[in-house]
Amino acid sequence: MDHGQAQSAFSDFVDGTLPERERLEVEQHLAACIQCRTELTSFRRTVGSLGKLKQAAPPSFLPDIKQQIYRRSHGRFFAPRWKLFGRIPFEWISLATIIAMLVYYLAVLHGTPSGVHPAP
Amino acid sequence: MEATLRFARARRERGPYTMSLAERLLIARLKERDGQAFDEIVQLYGDKVFSLVYRMLGNRHEAEDVAQEVFITVFKTVDGFRGEAKFSTWLLRIAANQSKNRIKYLSRRPTDGGEIDDALQAPATAGTPAPVLQGHIDGPDVLMEAAELEALMQRAIAALDEEHRLLVILRDVEELSYQEIGEITGLPEGTIKSRLHRARMAIKEELDKHTR
Repeated sequence: MDHGQAQSAFSDFVDGTLPERERLEVEQHLAACIQCRTELTSFRRTVGSLGKLKQAAPPSFLPDIKQQIYRRSHGRFFAPRWKLFGRIPFEWISLATIIAMLVYYLAVLHGTPSGVHPAP
Repeated sequence: MEATLRFARARRERGPYTMSLAERLLIARLKERDGQAFDEIVQLYGDKVFSLVYRMLGNRHEAEDVAQEVFITVFKTVDGFRGEAKFSTWLLRIAANQSKNRIKYLSRRPTDGGEIDDALQAPATAGTPAPVLQGHIDGPDVLMEAAELEALMQRAIAALDEEHRLLVILRDVEELSYQEIGEITGLPEGTIKSRLHRARMAIKEELDKHTR
């Protein structure tokens, strides 16, 4: 194993995801190569430092979001919802409209005055 | 289209995900617009989302704005969440996409806040603590050193393209598993690993330049 091969395996080596045989090869190379040992130390330090970059949200985060939602939804977002359906029942409204139109159509069809004949 | 196919392929390979009972109940309450559930979600995931967005953008003001948008999007679209992935994964995917969109938007307006946060380079001011590396810090010298290192790290992260930046943040800052990263990005594990290695090496090179 040369320097390039060893260093390309650093991520898996540090994460502990390198297969056993390759891990042993990297370890053998590291035992004999001070340059790669130095690189690995620096690599580990970099990965370790990245782990310390977590950033907490500001204390005003939750109230700010709530305020935004209230403002954008004009207070409707957290308002009590329809008890029966949990929301506006659009499908039932559509069905009722279709039935009403059908009834109207049938009423008009059968409600045409009888005995009316077309003009000669 | 390509991204959708990538997510579908990744999901098929991983098999179906089953939500825990607690997660299911929380989502159900959220779908019912329960204000308490809303608070719990923000308290549970607020730091994670903010941290991801902040490290992606490197600017506190932009990060606050985008992180708020993420939660607003989540609450607007939660009815469409079918539980095929972990809720946190779904949330972080939205955060990642919105961060990338903001990066693109800012890159077209480079003078309007696209640069790294001033707070990373200046000492803390009252009410707005400067973001420093977490952990026990002893004195002013150490504090300054930590702040300088953080600024250096943030610059190195910012120098990466957004795909590599996202991977290094998800893996090394947020400490997610490769499987979770795959769920968020839709990338296969091999691709994640190779890109992550390149990103880590690039950050290391940048740090080495300043520390040697």
